[in-house]
Amino acid sequence: MLAEPVALAPEAGREQVVGEVSAAAEAFGVTPGMRVGEALARCPELRLAPPDPEGVRALWREVLDRLEAVGAAVESDRPGCAFFEADGLRGIHGGHLEGVIAAARRVLGRGIRLGAGPSRFSSYAAARRARPRRAEIVGQGGVRAWLAPLPVSFLRARPELGVVADTLERLGIRTLGELSGLPAPAVAERFGHPGRLALDLARGRDTPLEPRRPAEPVLERLELPEAALGQQLERALELLIARVLARPERRGRSLRSAALSVRFVAGGTWRTRVTLRQASADAGLLATVLTPKLAELPAPADSITLEVEAFGPPAHDQARLVEERDSTRRVRLSEAVRQARQAVGDDAAMRVLEVDPDSRLPERRALLAPWTDA
Amino acid sequence: MPSRAASGLGAPRLARVRPGARGAPAAVDALAVDCVLEEWVVEDLWWTGRPLRRRYFECVLENGRNAVVFFDLVRRRWFEQRA
Repeated sequence: MLAEPVALAPEAGREQVVGEVSAAAEAFGVTPGMRVGEALARCPELRLAPPDPEGVRALWREVLDRLEAVGAAVESDRPGCAFFEADGLRGIHGGHLEGVIAAARRVLGRGIRLGAGPSRFSSYAAARRARPRRAEIVGQGGVRAWLAPLPVSFLRARPELGVVADTLERLGIRTLGELSGLPAPAVAERFGHPGRLALDLARGRDTPLEPRRPAEPVLERLELPEAALGQQLERALELLIARVLARPERRGRSLRSAALSVRFVAGGTWRTRVTLRQASADAGLLATVLTPKLAELPAPADSITLEVEAFGPPAHDQARLVEERDSTRRVRLSEAVRQARQAVGDDAAMRVLEVDPDSRLPERRALLAPWTDA
Repeated sequence: MPSRAASGLGAPRLARVRPGARGAPAAVDALAVDCVLEEWVVEDLWWTGRPLRRRYFECVLENGRNAVVFFDLVRRRWFEQRA
């Protein structure tokens, strides 16, 4: 398949650009990130393979699990690229870096590229330069010199630095060495925070690793007897929400973010993630938030999955046993205020006064004033 | 003890924010930002000698807390505010 001109089609509802491309497609000038129209104009025989984000995610999760099995605390922002601190692992893999690299290679198999360096960026660059069977290792002392001849395009490894790399190239600054020689205030003045980060990376410094948190998979899948779209899919989603909320692993907690995915009848998958403004375990609210996402589906589905990505605090969904009357509550509140004032003074009870509730500036909306009629 | 006079609520306080892509916050108080729910700009008091120019972000942090932070475009510093 890779001998033919093939490119990964864009995901439904996302930007219409192609993903990874085969070598044959590359020979026609098709590159990842190119608009579909331009890619087809350059290579009319180009075949667009439907993306399978669900499959990629499952496969990549397995890879990360294997790395964690050798003791690594792994950080990974995107499939295909992972980082971990090797120092803490030397002791259990022969006492040296080569032992850690060999352990990683054993669990990941052939064809992977491994690089090691004193920072995330230098190890990424080392892995890009490494041969499949031999890891590239950058020493602690010479990292700046090692990075110096590399092109500034390496900065695109950090998505937020894409614009900086483009501008540097246009300004004639072609290598990381040329960038690291620039005065920091000038770079900060021209590019702001991204410029400071680019400079740090070029000089061998980087932000600390943020390893992934252990996953707590709670998911419910429903196979649909016939291709479903529209209202039928909405009913299926309601059922899934009820099932997820009934799972014992939830232990009364609310849901903070969830992922909805479907497998299309014609092949390929689609996945979207939703983070709630306020964590909730209310089935109606979850349906209100998730149902509009189904409108983005371009084709009928034959299975639908709902997965909890993060839990929130425990849901306070228990109703009050006996409702108190307003007058009773007011008397109790006044008594509480009186007692608190006796103990700690008049400032113990204040009232929030709305001054300009519609102001765009939050500090102008309300004032804290002394409580007067308690 | 004399009673305290009325005072403002929701005054901004300095925040430790690590900016990420396109100037949006990537971490607030060492907690990673899970997602940015909303983003807006407030420009006010431009007719005075102390104009306000703020770029606000409403974020959900990795521990589930909602945080409203803004980058003060005049003072070039990050603040957190209850909004």
